Amino acid sequence: MINSEIVGELGSIVGDKYVSEDPEITFLYDYDFVTAEPKGKCDIVIMPNSAEEVQEIVKIANKYKIPVIPWVTNMNFGSIATPRKGGIVVDLRRLNRVLEVNEDDMYIVVEGGITWADLKGYLDKNHPDFRAGVTFSPPGTGVIPSCLCYGMFDLGMLGGTGAEFINGLEVVLGSGELVKVGSCSLSDYWYGRQPLPDLAGLFIGWEGNTGIVTKAAIKLWPRLPYREDFLAIAQSVEQGIPMLRKLSKVGLGICDLLCQNLGWIQSLLCFDTENVAIDPVELGLPDFYSLITTQAYTEDQHKAQCEAIRDICKEFDVDPLTAAEQIDNFPENMRGIIEQMFPSTGGQSPIQFWGCWNFSRGGGGEWIGSYCSTRDIEKYYQASRKVCLKYGKPPQFYSRFLFGGHYSVARTNINFNKNDPEEIETAKKILKEIHEEVQSIGGTIMYKPPLWAVQHHKDKMLPATRDLINKIKKLLDPNNIMNPGHGIGDE
Amino acid sequence: MSKKKIVKNIEGKGISQIDSVPNQKILNRNEDLEYYKDLIYQCGKCGTCRTAYQEKGWPRVCPSGEFGKFEAYYLGGKNLLTWAVLKNQLKWSEKLANIFYSCSVCLACIQQCQIPEIHHYAGEWLMAMREEAVRKGFGPMPEQTLYSEHVSNEYNPYMEKHENRQDWIPSHIKQSPNAKLAYFVGCTSSYREQNVAVATAEILNALEVDFKILSDERCCGSPVYMTGQAEKASKIAETNVHIFKNAGVEKIITSCAGCYKTLKETYPNKFKLNHGIEIIHLPEFLLDKLNKGEFEFNKEVDLKITYHDPCHIGRHMGIYEPPREVLKMIPGIELIEMPRNRHHAWCCGSGGGVRSAFKDLSSYAANERIEEAKGTGVDAIVSCCPFCLNQFKSTVKDNDILPLDLSELVRKAL
Repeated sequence: MINSEIVGELGSIVGDKYVSEDPEITFLYDYDFVTAEPKGKCDIVIMPNSAEEVQEIVKIANKYKIPVIPWVTNMNFGSIATPRKGGIVVDLRRLNRVLEVNEDDMYIVVEGGITWADLKGYLDKNHPDFRAGVTFSPPGTGVIPSCLCYGMFDLGMLGGTGAEFINGLEVVLGSGELVKVGSCSLSDYWYGRQPLPDLAGLFIGWEGNTGIVTKAAIKLWPRLPYREDFLAIAQSVEQGIPMLRKLSKVGLGICDLLCQNLGWIQSLLCFDTENVAIDPVELGLPDFYSLITTQAYTEDQHKAQCEAIRDICKEFDVDPLTAAEQIDNFPENMRGIIEQMFPSTGGQSPIQFWGCWNFSRGGGGEWIGSYCSTRDIEKYYQASRKVCLKYGKPPQFYSRFLFGGHYSVARTNINFNKNDPEEIETAKKILKEIHEEVQSIGGTIMYKPPLWAVQHHKDKMLPATRDLINKIKKLLDPNNIMNPGHGIGDE
Repeated sequence: MSKKKIVKNIEGKGISQIDSVPNQKILNRNEDLEYYKDLIYQCGKCGTCRTAYQEKGWPRVCPSGEFGKFEAYYLGGKNLLTWAVLKNQLKWSEKLANIFYSCSVCLACIQQCQIPEIHHYAGEWLMAMREEAVRKGFGPMPEQTLYSEHVSNEYNPYMEKHENRQDWIPSHIKQSPNAKLAYFVGCTSSYREQNVAVATAEILNALEVDFKILSDERCCGSPVYMTGQAEKASKIAETNVHIFKNAGVEKIITSCAGCYKTLKETYPNKFKLNHGIEIIHLPEFLLDKLNKGEFEFNKEVDLKITYHDPCHIGRHMGIYEPPREVLKMIPGIELIEMPRNRHHAWCCGSGGGVRSAFKDLSSYAANERIEEAKGTGVDAIVSCCPFCLNQFKSTVKDNDILPLDLSELVRKAL
């Protein structure tokens, strides 16, 4: 069977306008155009408009045993929607509708291809008293893929990762069947995943190995009237992280708690590669920049919370200035996009800045992003910093406390000029070396992992756990067509 | 706290510059693809170009992408297809040319992109790709070739006779043959939206401005240039400048956004024709006179209106406020903004050769704008570009909203 005949069959499902095998169209699905991961090959791209159409597409793929790659933007640092074994890219962007908002139970039901721009725009316009968490990824990226891959939001201290924001899912399995998981499987309500067996886990963290999510309910949160963003700066990560550990355990309306090192801040200021300091710590500059966001319902509550946050910062000899106060100290033409990060300094809440930051304007970037114990953040930083400096790259470190401080994420970004093959190769080396280094820190587990990191996960887990994963994969995707070459379920 | 504006219009062009980012590359404009090759690859097709993410509601802004749907039709896709061509990863083809021509070059996309150099220069390589398509024999589109040939023969793209160009001029219009000021009417107002031409001429008469209409006025070349035929357009420009000079013209007023941009920006900067003639768009001219107290409106026009920013004076030339200020000075006018306005205005879908070659896309864009205008509850959608006006008139089917030109309202108020 040649592509053009399959294209004809697929065209009869979605209409000819929404399927293509033209290289001018498929080229843009071959690769993510950001990471150091290799190029793939998209044979056919199709844009369905309903769950039923997705089912029909998956049935055809099963008939011909062609890979199927669920796709919204493929802007993730693992390059996990790049077609590794050819096949049909199912671009979900037409499935971007909001289906329901339940203000009482605070959730929104959306289709699988909705972007952050669509979601935020809809809520700001129609439900201004509520908000969803927002990632730091660009507005054109997908909400549901982010949730399914443990992406993080600016409400991470309240709700954890995106996966924990999921209330329920409607999924087309690799076999083409349609299932619902969560309360929506028994009722019209999508209020949660309890009390049935939590089958959402069959799709979360699988990188599209088990099915294509066509609908999902995501938790909403009230937009409280008072908010402050503190940008507290300390001399070192070792000085600052203990302060964040304490702040994570005191309530105080803190909805987001994170830190960046100076390497990362240089990126936010949009210095180009020729003008960044490789190791600004050597210059005696502060290396710890924390963002502490607090919100409140009343003015008195807000004042008290802010005062308590300031007191805790002072305990650690950290000056608790607000973002607005700090940014006023930056020269205007060197602020990059930093002002846009905070509503309190005029940004959207918050800015989604990947596109702005642009990896010091070399266009390429990839990370080692790991979930880890909050007690190991400093160790993670030092391990990754050492590797970056060895290769002459400024360490770009970032950490966020999640779910009331129960765990954290720590990650290191590597910027590179993506038009320079040598730099890409160096970036790959650095990434792998950091990954190896941080494995010595217990409980450091990479998320949105590219295939080489997935293999590490598989090698490390108990054989019975691995077998269980294989059995689940076989059951949900009997012909192994779902995003092959990626994910824990890949054979 | 109110949002700070981090972009500003740079001198001479509407293209804005992000002024909070250090170490920006400063390059020339109007260069070829090769010149920009070290910028284009920086795009990661992050999708920021699709949405006015700096505004409430984060509305979509790209007619080409929203209609074509595939990534290729958004700026991110076009950037990376350009990169692929430069790296020989992709060959020129009809399909590739088709993608680049399925775009009205409204430049709403580049306003959104926050990569400083792409924000600043992407408009240049969108045009350079069209020029390259022409060189490779894949452009312009057949309909555009047809009208361009007519421009060569009859000096207008509307398949009309040159000898009929001034048929619209009523006998009561007073011209001054020795005037240094010319009213450059443009093809659309000469042949299709003659009400704009009449209103403009009557305004000039009412304000006792000495002016003339050139007896051999010809197409400014915009529809030819915007479809990548730079060489052909350059020759048209040379002829026009010759005509202007021979007629002793020192200043030109135009009521057409496309003509204004072409005469003021494209002629000197792209074609290197430093004609030294002052080019002014009607609303700017009127606002200047209003501000100097040289005239005032003495009739009420009781109308609720919304204003549509034409791309060629808005994003291309940075003129957003003068038309609004003029409109707001007319007694009885209530101006209500559409959600997408100024830098983020949704294009009417007629420019860049789209209306002739991609009718479905063009209609889609126009319908979307008309529906947005209707959503504001106004009586009329007002623009100051006859091409936008003509597009809206052919789109409005139910008389729910009245498309008008600014000149028509000004005329009524005098």
